[in-house]
Amino acid sequence: MWRFAGIRTLHAIPVLIGVTFVVFGSLQLVPGDIANTLLSMFYTEERGEALRAQLGLDKPMLVQYAIWVWNLLHGDLGQSLMLRQPVAEVLLDKIGNSLILTGASLLIVIPVSFILGTTAARRFRTATDRSIVFFAMLLASLPVFWLGIVLLYLLGVNIKWFPMSGMYNMANPGGFPDLIHHLVLPAVTTAATSVAIVTRVTRGALIDTLGQPYILSARARGLSDFRVTYRHGVRNVMPTFANMCGLQIGYLFGGAIFTEIIFNWPGIGLLLYNAILQRDVPMVQGCILAIAVVFVLANLLADIIVYGLDVRRR
Amino acid sequence: MKTNTHEPGRWRCFSRRTALAAFGAAIGTAMTVTGFSFPANAQEKTVVMAIEGEPGQLDPHTHALWLTYREVYLMFESFTQQDLSVSDVEIPPIKPALAESWEVSEDGTVYIFHLRQGVTFHDGTPWNAEAAKFNFDRVLNRDFEYFYELAYNFNTWWHQDIESYEAVDEYTFRINLKQPNSEFLRRISMGGFGSAGMLSPESVKQWGNEDVSLHPVGTGPFKFVERVVNEKIVMERNADYWDPQRVPRIDRLIIRGIPDAATRELALLTGEVDIIATPTPDSVEYIQGQGMNVIMAPVPTIYLMWINFKQKPLDDVRVRQALYMAIDREGLCTYLRRGQCLPAYSILNFGGPGHDPAYQPMPYDPERAKELLVEAGYPDGFEVRVDWTPGGAGDVATVADAEWIKRDWARIGVDLKIEIFEISTYMQQMNKGMREGTGFMQLSWGENAFHWLDASISPAALPPNGFNAGFYDNPKVGELLAAARAATSEEEMLAKLHELQTVVIEEDTAFIPTHSPLGVYAMNPSITGFVLPPQHWTDLTLIDKTQ
Repeated sequence: MWRFAGIRTLHAIPVLIGVTFVVFGSLQLVPGDIANTLLSMFYTEERGEALRAQLGLDKPMLVQYAIWVWNLLHGDLGQSLMLRQPVAEVLLDKIGNSLILTGASLLIVIPVSFILGTTAARRFRTATDRSIVFFAMLLASLPVFWLGIVLLYLLGVNIKWFPMSGMYNMANPGGFPDLIHHLVLPAVTTAATSVAIVTRVTRGALIDTLGQPYILSARARGLSDFRVTYRHGVRNVMPTFANMCGLQIGYLFGGAIFTEIIFNWPGIGLLLYNAILQRDVPMVQGCILAIAVVFVLANLLADIIVYGLDVRRR
Repeated sequence: MKTNTHEPGRWRCFSRRTALAAFGAAIGTAMTVTGFSFPANAQEKTVVMAIEGEPGQLDPHTHALWLTYREVYLMFESFTQQDLSVSDVEIPPIKPALAESWEVSEDGTVYIFHLRQGVTFHDGTPWNAEAAKFNFDRVLNRDFEYFYELAYNFNTWWHQDIESYEAVDEYTFRINLKQPNSEFLRRISMGGFGSAGMLSPESVKQWGNEDVSLHPVGTGPFKFVERVVNEKIVMERNADYWDPQRVPRIDRLIIRGIPDAATRELALLTGEVDIIATPTPDSVEYIQGQGMNVIMAPVPTIYLMWINFKQKPLDDVRVRQALYMAIDREGLCTYLRRGQCLPAYSILNFGGPGHDPAYQPMPYDPERAKELLVEAGYPDGFEVRVDWTPGGAGDVATVADAEWIKRDWARIGVDLKIEIFEISTYMQQMNKGMREGTGFMQLSWGENAFHWLDASISPAALPPNGFNAGFYDNPKVGELLAAARAATSEEEMLAKLHELQTVVIEEDTAFIPTHSPLGVYAMNPSITGFVLPPQHWTDLTLIDKTQ
């Protein structure tokens, strides 16, 4: 298993190098440059030259890339244009907040889709199965921003069960319970699509498995339906289920961007959104890089865990 | 079979452990990140205000956007200030701030400021001519230890005419100008993209030019407490503020950037915030219905369309006039923007010098517009593209504006193709000048001084040196703007600006102004004393909160 983990980690390196290329290159594709953005309406050639020299933007592109990567390896992502603060410092803070949201969503996705998926498969072609499939399809086709606003309006504004923005009550912060209270709506919203996907895949895989001869033999031995499904069937679906859940980590982290904007959750998505609106290029770069890295790492982690879970490979 | 029955046990065990570990880790992270905080003192009056986006750095000399100046304005002051406690004026009047009084020489080139005595910065550093000189050096003196290149570049709009300055004695500061500047006292009272606000010299020495924006120390009525990026900026009242009229009535002010308008509105309705800026036009009625107070009034914002002079047939003035006349501005304001806007016919915006509400040289007249197109040789109209942006923080529903204009122009046979860009790319495109094939770009601007025209319509601002994105090159415009700035009396300045208006709108029709949306704020009924002056920022020392 450790050997597999090592190899997969090595495989992730070229992907990450590719990511740095894309992120750095995307800045070059934007018309104008940072000096231009920074001076905005008051840009002139002369002022631009002075500022460019000050920021090291007058060097050749490959040299700039080398410097950027070198700084990156030292944890320096440059300075935010709007905040005049190191991008890395701001990012670290916000990644934590996004991971809280992602983690909470995952804690919803895993049990809910497991129960729904296995129940549907057990009751294959019954009314229960059909309604679960319908429900999953409904969830999958609801855009996150729409669902978010509806939940927010129904549960946050109409019946005031949950607060609807931020991580804490601003005027009167209440610590951990306050955080959980603020977390419910955004976590449910983020989880919705993933619940649908994992449910459907789990259901499909389990239906397949339940058609296998060894299941038939288990039934023939008179084992209860519950026992057949959960002890013999589900066990073989587990790697698929774990794999799907692992893949969802990256998806949830990315999907959290929309949720964060709607619920004003101070994570990396909101940071990215604000940075785009304010033309803060280094910050946008930093956010995209961070999201890409988390995505790659989450998939890596999921792969290794799935490998570890799969008894056949031990 | 045996191995098989054994394996599931291990598997179950592993899964349970993993699940537990994951749950524990999640809770653990949450706890560490959260910490435990205690409820604030209930007796304190805390007001939470949600604005349209996250403010930038809190440095008076290098901040950008009105969003940011809303906070900078409350913490920093200049020699002069604008009186924002009155709403029924065209332009907020100038009154003394850190200078108690001033004298201006006959020829308008020497300003002597008598500084207010007994004022200290929030960190205890005394305010005097030395402190003023430190701030001017930071912006202007290349040999100064704390000279800040960015600050120099950001503030040219108010310091371009300064020749020299000196601390005459402890409380007298003298500024010599190269030429008269009709708006000097007003420009040093403004902000939004740099300002002449005074920083504590000690704070710059302690933190350095870059990091001082994380520790803002000024003389203003509010003191900086803390900032958590993307969450909040917390300020508290400065009980020792020099003007008893402007000592805040509330204890704490928390500013939150909430970019999504619907979230902002709902946060107000649920009581999570007390005041919000810029609800969407469509929701104002609903918010009022829920018992909230809505205050709206004209502010200096104006939406202008730049015209590409390199693009045929827009190089023909008759075509430009036809397009100008074919827009139903009244309808746009009444129906699309629900009465929350004023039609705009001039480049001189509401709240700025020379604005004339009756100015309407070419009223809405689609018939005449059609005739003009026939005269110009386009009886069947033509197709043209506009590059548009949903805007930055504070802009609402601008894409609908584009569709309104498309509909109006379709009536005279002009087929408008709309292409949308996000604000960042868009602004850089404006700096480079319009791309080939694009006829128009649109942007909101407008100030209560006219320096923004230098950066947008003057030949000096032709790409890549400014925002004259449509390559409008009329030397007369540059001359008139310079003459208006160098005027020694207000009458002279206004005369030049009116001449400019005639040239740009009636003779050249080089820009198509469309409308000025009102400033709109909504608040909980417990908030009293809120005043909305004709300005992009407001004086929050005036508000109070009843329990």
